[in-house]
Amino acid sequence: MLVFAISDKGGTGRSVTGTNIVYRHALQGNDVCYLDFDFGSPTAGAIFSVSSVARGTRENGLHHYLRGECPQPRRVDVWAESDREGLRARPPGAGRLVLLPGSEGGGELSALTDEVVGRCVQLLGRLDEEFDLCMIDVSAGRSFTAELVLAATVRMPAIPFRWLVFHRWTRQHIIAADGLVTGADGLLDVGIRFGHDAEDLRDRIRFVRTAVLEPDAAELVGLRDEQRAWLSACDSELRELAGRHGVGRTAMLGKIPLDPVLQWREQLITDEDVLASKIANAETAAAFEELAKKIVDDSAWEGL
Amino acid sequence: MLVMGEVHTGLLQNSGEISESTCRQVLGLMAGETVRVSRRPIVHALSPERLTGVDCALPTASRSRVRGVGTVVSRCAVTGGRVAQGSSYARVVRSEADRRLPWSHYLARPGVVEVLGKVKAADLAEGFTGDTVPGRPDGACLDLGAVSGRFLDLVQQSPLLDRRAPFKIPRTNLRWVAETGEPSIRFTLHAEQERTLRLTHPGPFTPAVVDLCEDLATHDWLLTSLLVIVERARIGGTPGAQAVARLAPAIDHLMHLWMPAARVEEWMTPFWESLERRPGFTRQWRSLVDRVRDQVAMNTLALLSATAEAGRRSP
Ligand SMILES: Nc1ncnc2c1ncn2[C@@H]1O[C@H](COP(=O)(O)OP(=O)(O)OP(=O)(O)O)[C@@H](O)[C@H]1O
Ligand SMILES: [Mg+2]
Repeated sequence: MLVFAISDKGGTGRSVTGTNIVYRHALQGNDVCYLDFDFGSPTAGAIFSVSSVARGTRENGLHHYLRGECPQPRRVDVWAESDREGLRARPPGAGRLVLLPGSEGGGELSALTDEVVGRCVQLLGRLDEEFDLCMIDVSAGRSFTAELVLAATVRMPAIPFRWLVFHRWTRQHIIAADGLVTGADGLLDVGIRFGHDAEDLRDRIRFVRTAVLEPDAAELVGLRDEQRAWLSACDSELRELAGRHGVGRTAMLGKIPLDPVLQWREQLITDEDVLASKIANAETAAAFEELAKKIVDDSAWEGL
Repeated sequence: MLVMGEVHTGLLQNSGEISESTCRQVLGLMAGETVRVSRRPIVHALSPERLTGVDCALPTASRSRVRGVGTVVSRCAVTGGRVAQGSSYARVVRSEADRRLPWSHYLARPGVVEVLGKVKAADLAEGFTGDTVPGRPDGACLDLGAVSGRFLDLVQQSPLLDRRAPFKIPRTNLRWVAETGEPSIRFTLHAEQERTLRLTHPGPFTPAVVDLCEDLATHDWLLTSLLVIVERARIGGTPGAQAVARLAPAIDHLMHLWMPAARVEEWMTPFWESLERRPGFTRQWRSLVDRVRDQVAMNTLALLSATAEAGRRSP
């Protein structure tokens, strides 16, 4: 299964949420890999705490590979190479957790040639042979990278793939997320141009809300009644807006609560962060865990 | 001088094993040429051979620059309708000229790469398979693995396959060098999926050497994959029924494929026998297979006694 992670806006929580999902999926016993196709700022290494590739790799990064500068992109075994003590041993029953870092200072793809698409097809096809889940961080907004993977998936009709569109829980983000999917030059528009079937592609797209503050959250206990009432009204307004934009409950795969740890630092939330040091919220870890299951649960992906 | 080759082996990307006739279609990469199929003791289908022209540096342990020009032979194979391979090799010989000749010269010698300039066979052999040069050759160097990988892709991308393989498993890569001399064989496991083989055989090179390397690669992949599946099952660390469910793909798709030396010519069987003594492929395979069977048997017994117990309680 290939999962493409995208968002309309930058800084949405796409990388942090995507990496935490694959981490949980690995803990659930699956072999997973994470491809940092965010060529502008490949920072997945930092989230996995692999300092040697914190901002991408100087050699054999994904960008080098797609440009034909190396035969195969570099792979980083997170269980072996992470600097974080809590990640450096593969827990019993966990699957492989592999990062394919982007190229340091690689820059965005500047053109979409047939060779580049061919290399992308080759890479994704081979990874699909050995990993249960490949998550590809496609970067924010409309980009050559998004076009690249749309073109590549047309050429691999038998390989299952899905899209996750990340957005924050605000007016602007809801409207933008819808626009990225259904707007001019959006995913559907470009996808159809490359030969995807509109309805089929639509069914493969779900939304994920990031850093959501629920009106009844513990964080809000200290608020005045007036503030709480106002937040509640906002929330239902947003729900109505999301429904109108096709970003509502049915098209949503999950939501991740606002977490104090993630607000301060981009990282994986381990069970140790929740249970031992108690810095992260249990709800956050549970939300990642649930998303990690839903991503491969066909009943969550039935036609809309 | 020597022959170097690389074999990539993987699980055929299809839900079940494919029939002999589907094998023929999948491997019929070149119109007009036939796929060779042998049926006993296991169905083995081999594609027609194809040539790739090369003019590039050859890997040397000394890092001295050696230029090779010629063609590489590649082919694909499917064993038991289940295991797919891409395989390439080239005979490396000294060129009689000191400069590159017209292509017609090289095309008349399929599968031969001619070395321009001076080089020792040992330097090339070490460069290609030695421990001294870690990792893959860089872009400018002859990369038989890249060619073999692409041939394996050709099989895996066939529209005749449904891509719903029963389990996920990595490919393995076997790099080999064969030379004429006092018979010897050395198989080495490197990091992750990399393996190397050094073979010295009496008499001149024949394609039977390639068959041996491919056969060995098939069995190394089978063993590697069975080890992975047994590890994933977490026998003892997880309830019996669950462990057995995770072992099922091995029973359904791998365990009947073990046929060492089936396609190896008589005079080469001592090489296999030597590998059977050390590292002992079949010994390890048997012990794993026994382990899988014991788990299934124990789980069946547990189920039977649970059923009998339930029957006694509610007559
Ligand atoms: N659930 C959350 N709670 C609190 N903060 C979060 C949450 N998810 C993400 N963040 C924070 O939001 C910021 C942006 O997240 P992230 O880097 O994952 O976004 P992105 O969409 O990948 O950004 P870019 O487009 O720049 O790559 C980070 O500081 C991150 O820690
Ligand atoms: Mg990011």
